[in-house]
Amino acid sequence: MTTPATSTTSVRRVAILGGNRIPFARSNTVYSQASNQEMLTATLQGLVDRFNLHGERLGDVVAGAVMKHSRDFNLVRESVLSTTLAPETPAFDIQQACGTGLEAAMLVANKIALGHIESGIAGGVDTTSDAPIALNEKLRKILLDLSRAKTAVQRLAVASRIRPAMLVQPALPRNGEPRTGLSMGEHAELMAKEWGITREAQDALALTSHQNLARAYEEGFFTDLMTPFKGVTQDNNLRADLTVEKLRSLKPVFDKKVAPNQGTLTAGNSTPLTDGASAVLLASEAWAAERNLPVLAYITHSEVAAVDFFGQKDSKSKEGLLMAPAYAVPRMLARAGLTLQDFDYYEIHEAFAAQVLCTLGAWQDKVFCRDKLGLAKPLGKIDMAKLNVHGSSLAAGHPFAATGGRIVASLAKMLAQQGKEQGTGRGLISICAAGGQGVVAILER
Amino acid sequence: MGSRMKTIEVQHEPGLASLLVSAIAGSRKKPGIVKKLPPVTLVRREVVLDAGHIARYGAICGFDVAQGVPLMYPQMLSFPLVMAYVGSADCPWPALGTVHLANAIEQKKALHAGDSVRVELSAGELFAHEKGQGFTLDLRILRDGELVWQATQSLLRVGVKEAQGKPYASHIRADAPLSHQADLAAPANIGRRYAAISGDRNPIHLTALTAKLFGFKRAIAHGMWTKARALSCVLPAYPLEQASVAVDFKTPLFLPAGASVWTARTAGAALFEVRDAKGQKPHLRAHLQY
Repeated sequence: MTTPATSTTSVRRVAILGGNRIPFARSNTVYSQASNQEMLTATLQGLVDRFNLHGERLGDVVAGAVMKHSRDFNLVRESVLSTTLAPETPAFDIQQACGTGLEAAMLVANKIALGHIESGIAGGVDTTSDAPIALNEKLRKILLDLSRAKTAVQRLAVASRIRPAMLVQPALPRNGEPRTGLSMGEHAELMAKEWGITREAQDALALTSHQNLARAYEEGFFTDLMTPFKGVTQDNNLRADLTVEKLRSLKPVFDKKVAPNQGTLTAGNSTPLTDGASAVLLASEAWAAERNLPVLAYITHSEVAAVDFFGQKDSKSKEGLLMAPAYAVPRMLARAGLTLQDFDYYEIHEAFAAQVLCTLGAWQDKVFCRDKLGLAKPLGKIDMAKLNVHGSSLAAGHPFAATGGRIVASLAKMLAQQGKEQGTGRGLISICAAGGQGVVAILER
Repeated sequence: MGSRMKTIEVQHEPGLASLLVSAIAGSRKKPGIVKKLPPVTLVRREVVLDAGHIARYGAICGFDVAQGVPLMYPQMLSFPLVMAYVGSADCPWPALGTVHLANAIEQKKALHAGDSVRVELSAGELFAHEKGQGFTLDLRILRDGELVWQATQSLLRVGVKEAQGKPYASHIRADAPLSHQADLAAPANIGRRYAAISGDRNPIHLTALTAKLFGFKRAIAHGMWTKARALSCVLPAYPLEQASVAVDFKTPLFLPAGASVWTARTAGAALFEVRDAKGQKPHLRAHLQY
């Protein structure tokens, strides 16, 4: 490295130089045979190719997967070793559910900001097709006991506990909250009910997402943000010809347990299970300048929040599972000295259309802002024309850990494309995550 | 109104035999052109809302106990009056072959099991429908002398020429786009099960054979059951003090059938339809306000 080492802890600006992702694919479609490692490797290699990083030793590569096989304990390092990056590039895995990708970006950014590293890649990958299926839990315990048995008699006694049914009843992963037993969709349905979010509003948001993503493809927005994979060049969840009539014809799918016959969430206004991967290249300004790499935008703020979605403390503190970003954003804004309206773009991850609409509703709600956020007045409205302008997860799909990287790269490019004199040069990112968590960040030009 | 209103007290629920007798007797009615319905009011002086009956009605229609006495339940109490009326000389046409065109209910105060109420039926007005002569029946429920619930039944005598009265017009808007809300099953025996609870043993609802006698290819679901079943998907999950629901019956739902419920909700109101399983043909369209 030619950048001089410093012993100070002065904070440096963290530049976003670019990103890459493979097209996202609905679960059990075109990527059904692809592993997390394959997808992450292809994504990283695409980024390495684009920025000519062959043989380079980067400071760190941080990524993760929410659905992971136990054999993939070193998923990111193994993926790095399969790319043309220098094998001396260190890497590690993280996991914070759907917040994984953005949290990975913050980890790399913080190291760069503090001068611990000069460059790094943050990313995420997920497959729900090549999902880890575990042994039947009873069988697993028996096999562990078997390995601990010392004599043939003991082994025979343990083995006799095995039943044929255990072989055909594996432990399947499920998209549910362990503490409530409810699926994420059921939680989102409860939130929609609490905030009075209509079916019509959710369908309208979903339609806009598809229209925006389709337009972004038409305009070639993703050409330098994507590497084709397995012959796929475009997110296969995108329905460019989607109509509101088609959305209206879908039946609610999460209402049975939580709101019988009153449901508003359908397969059209909820994200599907998706396979895919994404990565972003972050660096110090000096590292970028040395390589003549233009800076798209800077990561300037982040915040993580969590809510008591189980009502552990008391019923009054109980909050909707996916409402944490509604808390994280105002805390971050206060630190940054900004208002909710000081942004050119809002990237609110569309886990469910209802999640986005509940969050926006909460920020306009006097009582919520006063009682839950402790604010004198509500954060107010945003200009909906600035929301997810190149589409979001409802259209693109949502491979859990890969969504953060998709958003950071797209938003950085949007800010870079905008004329220098236009707008505030700021973009807001908000991502909700399982376990009642939320990861948010600010990018600036 | 020129002529004096006649009031008749009805004390017994009609048995199957008396229904058949009046049905047969009624089929001889040949009124010719009717200019005006003879004014008459039929009364059940004291009826106590039975928790068990409400529960059985709620269960068959899909209402949840948390929704309180179902908005449509009180109409059950008026059925003996309806049968007495259409079986009487005051009603120009017989019960059999009279089509249920529309029904509008308004609840002014919530009812509760154990309430003692007075149930009234009055002959309403004639209206001209493209398919024949329409007429209305006004149903009222009073508790301690106070009107707490009322409904208007719009019935149609198909094929009557020179229909009298104002032209029929539906008040339910049809332009709002609806979304698929739920699917419902109308099993083959639902007509018989509903008849057992409502007392309405109209043969067109009971079996395919009895329905065929009246020109239907199979038994058809009772419109008030279909309306109630769909309403249970649309009403909020808590009891309502005031509410109104109006329905237009569109096409018969032949049993057994799958059907779909389509809704457009706004704060305190909902437009809804029961359509066929594919969501294309409407069986009924309704509007709820609460």
